[in-house]
Amino acid sequence: MPIEHIETLREGEDQKEKLKVVERSGVEPWGRDASLSVVGEPHTRVEGPEKVTGRARYAYDIRLPGQLYARVLRSPHPHARVRRVDSSAAEALEGVHAVLSMENAPDIRWYENSKLFDSTVRFVGEEVAAVAAENEEVALDALRLIEVEYEPLPFVTDMLAALEPHAPAVHEGGNRVGEPKLYERGDVATGLEEADVIVEGTFYTQTALHNCLEPHGCTASWDGDSLTLYESTQGVFEVREQVAEKLGLREDRVRVVKRYMGGGFGSKQIAWKQTVIAALLSQLTGQPVQLMLDREAENLAAGNRNPTHQRVRLGARSDGTLTAIELEATLGVGAYMVGGEASNVGGPYQRLYRCPNVRTRKTAAYINAGPSVAFRAPGYVEGAWALEQAMDELARRLDVDPVELRRKNYADWDQKKDRPYTSPESLRIAYDKVTEAFGWDGYRRLPADGAKRRGIGFAAHEWGGAGHAPGYAWVKLNSDGTADVVTGTQDIGTGTRTGLTQVAAETLGLPMAQITLHLGDTAQGPYSPVSAGSATQATLGPAVRAAAADAREQLLQAAALLLEVEDPETLDIRDGIIFIVGGREYGRSEVEVREVMGRMAPHMILGQGMRGPNPEDKSVRTFGAQCVEVEVDVETGEVTVLRVAASHDCGRVINPTMVNSQVLGGVTQGIGFALMEERILDDRLGFVLNPNLEHYKVPTVADVPPTTHNAVDRPDPEANPTGAKGIGEPPIIPTAPAIANAIYDATGVRIREAPLTQWRVLRALLEKGKSDTNNSMERERR
Amino acid sequence: MYPFEYQRPQSLEEAFRFLSRDGSELLAGGTDLLTLMKQEIAAPNYVVDIKRLEALPREIQTVRDGGVRVGALATLSDVQNSATLAGPYAALAEAAEVAATPQLRNMATVGGNLLQRPRCWYFRNPHLHCWLKGGDDCFARDGRNEYHAIFDISPCVAAHPSDLAPALLVLDAEVHLQWTDGERRVALENFFAAPAEERRRETRIGRDELLLSVRIPGLPAAMRSTYVKAMARKVWAFALVSVAAAVHVQSGQIEDVRIALGGVAPVPLRARAVESALVGQPATIKQFEEAAALAVADAQPLEYNQYKIALARRLIVRALQRVTDGREAT
Amino acid sequence: MHDTTVTLEVNGVEHSLTLDPRRTLLDALRHNLRLTGTKKVCEMGDCGACTVLVDGRAMYACLLLAVDCDGREIKTIEGLVRDGELDPVQQAFIEADALQCGFCTPGQIMSIHGLLNENPRPSEDEVVRAVSGNLCRCGAYRNIVKAGQRASELSSAS
Repeated sequence: MPIEHIETLREGEDQKEKLKVVERSGVEPWGRDASLSVVGEPHTRVEGPEKVTGRARYAYDIRLPGQLYARVLRSPHPHARVRRVDSSAAEALEGVHAVLSMENAPDIRWYENSKLFDSTVRFVGEEVAAVAAENEEVALDALRLIEVEYEPLPFVTDMLAALEPHAPAVHEGGNRVGEPKLYERGDVATGLEEADVIVEGTFYTQTALHNCLEPHGCTASWDGDSLTLYESTQGVFEVREQVAEKLGLREDRVRVVKRYMGGGFGSKQIAWKQTVIAALLSQLTGQPVQLMLDREAENLAAGNRNPTHQRVRLGARSDGTLTAIELEATLGVGAYMVGGEASNVGGPYQRLYRCPNVRTRKTAAYINAGPSVAFRAPGYVEGAWALEQAMDELARRLDVDPVELRRKNYADWDQKKDRPYTSPESLRIAYDKVTEAFGWDGYRRLPADGAKRRGIGFAAHEWGGAGHAPGYAWVKLNSDGTADVVTGTQDIGTGTRTGLTQVAAETLGLPMAQITLHLGDTAQGPYSPVSAGSATQATLGPAVRAAAADAREQLLQAAALLLEVEDPETLDIRDGIIFIVGGREYGRSEVEVREVMGRMAPHMILGQGMRGPNPEDKSVRTFGAQCVEVEVDVETGEVTVLRVAASHDCGRVINPTMVNSQVLGGVTQGIGFALMEERILDDRLGFVLNPNLEHYKVPTVADVPPTTHNAVDRPDPEANPTGAKGIGEPPIIPTAPAIANAIYDATGVRIREAPLTQWRVLRALLEKGKSDTNNSMERERR
Repeated sequence: MYPFEYQRPQSLEEAFRFLSRDGSELLAGGTDLLTLMKQEIAAPNYVVDIKRLEALPREIQTVRDGGVRVGALATLSDVQNSATLAGPYAALAEAAEVAATPQLRNMATVGGNLLQRPRCWYFRNPHLHCWLKGGDDCFARDGRNEYHAIFDISPCVAAHPSDLAPALLVLDAEVHLQWTDGERRVALENFFAAPAEERRRETRIGRDELLLSVRIPGLPAAMRSTYVKAMARKVWAFALVSVAAAVHVQSGQIEDVRIALGGVAPVPLRARAVESALVGQPATIKQFEEAAALAVADAQPLEYNQYKIALARRLIVRALQRVTDGREAT
Repeated sequence: MHDTTVTLEVNGVEHSLTLDPRRTLLDALRHNLRLTGTKKVCEMGDCGACTVLVDGRAMYACLLLAVDCDGREIKTIEGLVRDGELDPVQQAFIEADALQCGFCTPGQIMSIHGLLNENPRPSEDEVVRAVSGNLCRCGAYRNIVKAGQRASELSSAS
């Protein structure tokens, strides 16, 4: 039994007794210099052929016999009491099979204390009724026939206004979400007193919308009392657990399947209402029901990156040593806490730079808008926007190179947990690599004339990505020498199938093509956590390696009999051939895996593996840095990102192609966050004005410049037996502040409000032009 | 989308007959109409599909008097790639090239481009009954109006989205309209009209009229024209501000000049004041900058769109520079 | 309002369908013909995921009524594989890792097909323009551009 240790502990607010389990994978880490042949290679995506041919079946593509299509009626009011829902006309429409609303829905709790269909709606887009019909056209016709009587209530959509006294209450208990979250070490007041220079500023980050191309949704199908959900999700087991609980079903009677998913970026890590609505409609009609959100609903009711307001103070000595870091942050979380927000805005302030006096305080506010949920590096993108610009301002004030300022304040241990990092050198390597690749030479200070001005900017980050226990994998060796690697994880587009197959191939000594990696089905694979927190490769990689090692050991035992050697440990496997290390003088010295398995048939070899715990005495973190160059047209406000250089630490690079693609993706989304992405909400009406891909601008191919990535490329064997850490989220973190810093370098204009749209940049330039003129007039007068 | 009856007329006569029925909408490229129908802002009883109507012109050709006729069914891709639209007519091809996306340009027609409805996010929101849709309020006027009009010429402050329109305005184009009993030619400048109480649309086309073609008169070979556009991202966005300019310079003197602006008013606007200030003047940046200021002299920006004033001025100067000395601003 | 009959020629096969005139080409492909490779994302011509070739030119299937496509030649992502072999654009997308979640991929590939139909040797800038109407939220753009150029090499080699 691989459980090494088990003890009881009390956790959470209710101090519920839980069992703490420590499992050991039993495999030794690959050393930093281990010679590996498959891991580390730039293998193409194993599911590539499925995706380029259109054969890959996404949740939206499920077509079951008799399948119905559902659509949801949503509140047109930011806050209202729902007096009455009359769906009789809709139900009478030909082709309509069922209508669900508060009038007939089961009493299911959702979002804190509200119901699945609540009698109070708290944002435009909240679910009021749902229709299942023969096709989407009829379902939409039926929605128009549902009569709803609303009693509009006062509302508030601005996070700062929501915290004012007498603001309209989103919930009865008021608009503040719990107590403000305080982190403190040392004494900031003392630190500020010790400072020779203090930089302060108020920063704002916008609400960003995930806009996964595949919307949230699922197809629900019942067979007796068993429910199958084909769901677009980052966590099949999370959805299973939540749906089973909401519907009062046994977990083994709920099966959640997700083979392919068209983007999640954090927004698909919980079960959302539509999943349970689809299950209920399917139950009512006795037919499979597909409920996929349309684009508007996707942008109103399926999560967003919460807006932040951040007041920042940095204190430093004249030599650049930080003496104080202070953050006072306000967040607008939307109308409900949905779980999975994880918006640690204070995170970067607490760890990224060495500083004895740090204080961060975070207050979250309810507003009458769609709920927020994690969005790629939640909290850190927002925090870095402010912190990394403040560091840039500090460097300017001290007249030092901003990279030098960061080196000066290098944190080589985890100040928050007060313990060492497993990779204390990674950030330094990232600084070295990225500045060299980019040709960083300090700020430009180019003569300020001409319309097109160029500038360069720098920003750094740290993040988790350690992965964690638990996580399981099985390896089945088949009679023809092929292997099934079975997991319960998901590939959310990050290359999980490929990376895990590489780990399995490396360990088993089989060619990649001989292995099939299974995932995304609660009925087939063992538990895996949600694919979030840049954790999947670092969580499942070790489990797959352990399972493959278990299978390999059994395989070598069998091979030892065939090769007539006593000690299986004298054998090795490469490319599907088991051989005696060093060969032998006479007799047979090798045998194919296929032959061993064929001779065992119909017996098979089953390997089992699990993810062991992270080290307890050290922190496993990831680090990185980016440099960007921009061109700003100071007459029109147009910003062009000319190039980006990145260097990120993800421990061992399992597959450089996949890692580089994650970096490209993060940088692209970072450009969007920096320059154009912004939910626009009319505070008078409570309406989101751009819940679409026309007015909510995301980057196009023409917005993204050549981007280079020089990985830190340093295996982290203390982290886990594969030495790999996450890379999914980190690359988005430094991009936006690096762009803002580059714009400042180019123009001398510091814009603290994201995003830096053309109109904001031009407005700021015009204001600066005016104040420059005023200042020079002022000087002349003197 | 509300249910409708689909009709595909085989002749102009049949098209007029279908069009005469209440609640008919013409479908050509469909890139605007279908989005309006999906948002339930348009709900026609009859959709009259004229995309393949042989009698409607789709060619772009030089006509006898030296001008160019652009068929209403020509696609934006046709315009972009037309060899005819060079020299003095280049602004039109340039405008098509920066409009929308390759796919939309393969679908969208010239006629539809001129008749498209505004992109205002209040107008396009199915839950808001704004003034332009027959309601009482223009929500944008005191709302979020960063993409809206800086010239207050209508109760509606939406910005006109067409890229082709400013280009055609500086080419002095006219539209050829036909109805059951007759036809008429209207200068494009008069074809567009700021939405008013009794006509909450951006054009003066009659409900029973078909737009057949756009005619551009012959222009001197020495005339040059161009189109510049500022967008919220590098491609695939409607103009924040756009400027079309056509200039005829002789021995350094401006003989003839036309300037039009997009994205600044509910209809595309000719900047007549700039034009008259420039005629007879030397083609210098200084002149351009002084004249450009006149274009926005009457502007009344809203809370969020002040920036458009500076942007419009600058784009006018750049467009003029591009067609005079061929250089961008330095 | 009555259903209408339409003949769609998709990937060389004629299909006679009776459908609600409101049905878009996109829904006709995905529902009536079960060709789900063409993706539905924004339904408003704002994303490009539903790009198909109509008479050889790239268009958004979400903004075309199916009835309006009567008799036109339609090509979708499912029509590219020949004799079980990936076509050069598909091959190039895999080689260049021009995809992550894969949801925009069919549309991107069809746009590049539309380009190569007219311009077999495009420049980098021409590839950028060809896919400028296809959003990729994962951010694979730089690799998509590489794939476009690689596809052109593979096509001319074959």
